[in-house]
Amino acid sequence: MTSAVIDREPLPDTAPQDPPRAGRRRRRHDQPPRWQLFVPLGVYLLFTLVPFYWMLLFALRESGSDSLVPWPITFEHFEKVWNERSFDTYFFNSIQVGVATMVMTLLVALSGGYALARFRFRLRMPFMLALLCSQFIPGALLLVPLFEVFRELQMLNSLGSVIIAETVFQLPLSMILISGFIRNVPPSLEEAAWVDGCSRLRGFLAIVLPLLRPGLVAVGSFAFVHSWNHFLFALMFLSSQDKQTIPVGLNTLIGSDSVDLGALAAGGVVAALPVVIVFAFIQRWLITGFSAGAVKG
Amino acid sequence: MRRSPRRGLAAVATALVLAAAASGCGDSGTSSGSEGDGTGKITFWDNNGGVRTEVWEQIIDAFEEENPDIEVEYVGVPIADVQSKYDAAIQGGDGLPDVGGVSTSYLANLVAQGALDPVTDRLAESGLDQQLLPAMLDSVRATVGEGEELYSVPTSANQGVLWYRTDLFEAAGLQPPTTWDNFYTAAEELTDREHNRFGFTIRGGAGSVAQALDMMYAQSGIDSFWEGDETTVNDPANVEALENYVGLYNTVTPEADLNNDFTNMVATFTGGEVGMLQHNLGSYQDHIDAFGEGVVDGLPMPTQEEGGPHTFVSNPVDGLGLFKSSDNKEAAWRFIEFAASHEMNSLWNESAGSIPANTEALNDDWIQSAPPTQAAVEALSDERTTIVQLPYYLPDWNNITKADTEPNFQRVLLGEMSAQDFLDDLADRLNEAQAEWLEQQE
Repeated sequence: MTSAVIDREPLPDTAPQDPPRAGRRRRRHDQPPRWQLFVPLGVYLLFTLVPFYWMLLFALRESGSDSLVPWPITFEHFEKVWNERSFDTYFFNSIQVGVATMVMTLLVALSGGYALARFRFRLRMPFMLALLCSQFIPGALLLVPLFEVFRELQMLNSLGSVIIAETVFQLPLSMILISGFIRNVPPSLEEAAWVDGCSRLRGFLAIVLPLLRPGLVAVGSFAFVHSWNHFLFALMFLSSQDKQTIPVGLNTLIGSDSVDLGALAAGGVVAALPVVIVFAFIQRWLITGFSAGAVKG
Repeated sequence: MRRSPRRGLAAVATALVLAAAASGCGDSGTSSGSEGDGTGKITFWDNNGGVRTEVWEQIIDAFEEENPDIEVEYVGVPIADVQSKYDAAIQGGDGLPDVGGVSTSYLANLVAQGALDPVTDRLAESGLDQQLLPAMLDSVRATVGEGEELYSVPTSANQGVLWYRTDLFEAAGLQPPTTWDNFYTAAEELTDREHNRFGFTIRGGAGSVAQALDMMYAQSGIDSFWEGDETTVNDPANVEALENYVGLYNTVTPEADLNNDFTNMVATFTGGEVGMLQHNLGSYQDHIDAFGEGVVDGLPMPTQEEGGPHTFVSNPVDGLGLFKSSDNKEAAWRFIEFAASHEMNSLWNESAGSIPANTEALNDDWIQSAPPTQAAVEALSDERTTIVQLPYYLPDWNNITKADTEPNFQRVLLGEMSAQDFLDDLADRLNEAQAEWLEQQE
């Protein structure tokens, strides 16, 4: 508030005939020095990146080496986890689980989110509350009932069981987020499409959906990353070696009495790489998506 | 006032969902299975999957070559989660394997849930019981606490070892840590905090209490975990031993040891700045990988005087269990027999660096050429050695020695709790669990 007043009413000793100098002074006054920005960011980056460097170091240096740089570089640990420890299979299983979970979550959350955003129906608020409350239930609590359900459906030891379980756990938050994104799209846009002869579905697909792209990227990436990293359902519902996913594979690299740190680090890199790549590509939409969802329409 | 039909439908739907969820928790589903015709496919869960996958694949290949009409499906389960996976499959009523790797640390839990078939008769019929180490058979029997019945075929055991850097000891002119005096002297002499060198690395994180018990009983020499129905963990001799042990923290150990699980602890040792480590035989290969042959040696836990008798706490015995729900028990048993045979048991234990259960394997060349393993076998075979049997049969054993008391152990290390208070609390929990267990037995 104070700075706004100063902006409008220059102080008496500020010469009106020297606006560029006043402007420079204002910029210096408004903007913190660069070091105040870069030093905290640098420290934060250091804390964030050192563990990554450590992982890369162990993954790329020879067994038994205590060098702080990965030189001479070796890919023996990657070859080991990929070829001998079946990470090739785990990787593609995880991709299937992640992509299918993301697609199913988006499809169902879009429908549900649209209903929550656009329709007024009885028990709408209790339903929203129930969705929120479901976030308090840990997956482990529902493990046995889910196990029984999948057993009855003869879906145990199939990737489908993990995809369904992951989708179910992703849905509440995704639905709430997407309903927020849809609320931010003015209903008048859809109504204009209806006036032009579109059905509700056509209007949604042609008008609303393209505007939701940042939100969909945010929710979809959340669903993908969560299912990519999730360990419990894959461990419990899958019992064949060729059905396991990356998180389970990573855990098998930790033995009861010994750990192959090189292989574990290489497995960690394999597990982290897709997530890093996904985020590198979608970060622009991700930030837009979350800020869009944060504004109440 | 008329009720809305939609509200009624919603109420019925809610009730159905709740009923379905409730029924989901009620079935423990351990069917009695059948013998089968000795052919076809069996599933085997490896309870230390990944790390031992390679050697199990060799054993399975050899088995399938000898038994072409039986196919073994191998499933590697991460060691940290194997108990949860067994529990989920038992409670879920499906999905248990025909054969599974079972450690005595959770054997009692599986037996209590009725998941395993007793193997006493099968062992006697096959003659395998004569080939297995009596101490391991006793340990498996004692775990379940139901008399003479065996619920797993022991394949290997581990032993606490004091690993030390021979090069550092030589350079400092120190005696190997064969006695407790040598151990504490070396821990001090090898510490140079200014240069980030330490005499010892302690386990302050996951698994800390189990390791502390090993150190306590080995120092105090108390020969039994129970005196009547009361535990001996808070005996004054054990309290003194624990005080000595935790006194090492942050004086001759790195401060960061507070959160050490075994992985961090072994990594701290193999990092090269630490003189001694107490861990089991399983980390032998890590030491060779890090330092090469001959730089690290391993000794059984020290004694009070040179050449004196050892006191060890019982380490979990690994074995193979035959699951009650198996529909192909004949084939499953043939696989267990094969895996416990001299050649295969030796192959597995050489890979794992453990002590084989098969007595013939104890004389194999690889044991003679692995001094720490040989020393552990000799100490175990010494008639003067006392083995304090830990009560793995208590259903709450894992909870008590892990989640319930490990945070307190960290408080002891930090000086926020006394060793006496810690052990009194541990003793109360153990006595209560023992009383409950005895009541259930009656």
